[in-house]
Amino acid sequence: MIPFAAELSIRNGRRRPVELWIPLALLWILLLPLAILLLPVFLIACLVGDVPPFQATAILWRIFNSLNDTVLSVDKPEFSFCIHLY
Amino acid sequence: MNEDRRRILELLAQGKVTADEAERLIAALEKEPAAGSTAAGADATPKKKPKYLRVQVESQEGTTAGNPSLVNVRVPMQLLRAGVRLVSVIPAQARAHVNDALRENGVPFDLSQIKPENLEEIVDQLDDLTVDVDQKNEKVKVKVFCE
Repeated sequence: MIPFAAELSIRNGRRRPVELWIPLALLWILLLPLAILLLPVFLIACLVGDVPPFQATAILWRIFNSLNDTVLSVDKPEFSFCIHLY
Repeated sequence: MNEDRRRILELLAQGKVTADEAERLIAALEKEPAAGSTAAGADATPKKKPKYLRVQVESQEGTTAGNPSLVNVRVPMQLLRAGVRLVSVIPAQARAHVNDALRENGVPFDLSQIKPENLEEIVDQLDDLTVDVDQKNEKVKVKVFCE
């Protein structure tokens, strides 16, 4: 399943920490028309680059679907960043 | 002779169990240690399939003492599985470049030989992977493992 939300937390020095809950589902809905518009460009790029377009689309979709539960966090004494996709 | 075996023989001598029953009991006793030893070799509980690949980097460089920088990445194994399939869509020209680069670095390997099932196998075997890089001079510790 594609990630539907992300939790982002940023702490920078003495500034107030930022904690955001991002509804990615809305972002995907907004990006969908753009993706449809870019589809011919992607197909042409695949043909020019000698990449099988349908196979590439399937793999990219699979990667996109597997992003769920990915965590990246950086902790430094003066800065910390964490993103969790789910 | 262990205690259980002696007790079975005593029961047989007293006539409380028949010879057949005693034989079955002893056979069962003999099976138990074998099963126990295999369980001790592996885990007693069935091995859980790892769900994530974790990369932890701990660095003391450019930080105050006692407060290391930490980078923690948790990647789902299914993302790795999907990612390795990208090899199959690498254009032939790019593949040749990669093969040349590998050969130059002493790895005579042909990427076109990699099949999706091989990659699946590699990812499946990652559960036993633990890489610890601990460089005292660099003050950086890298740990890669599955959980």
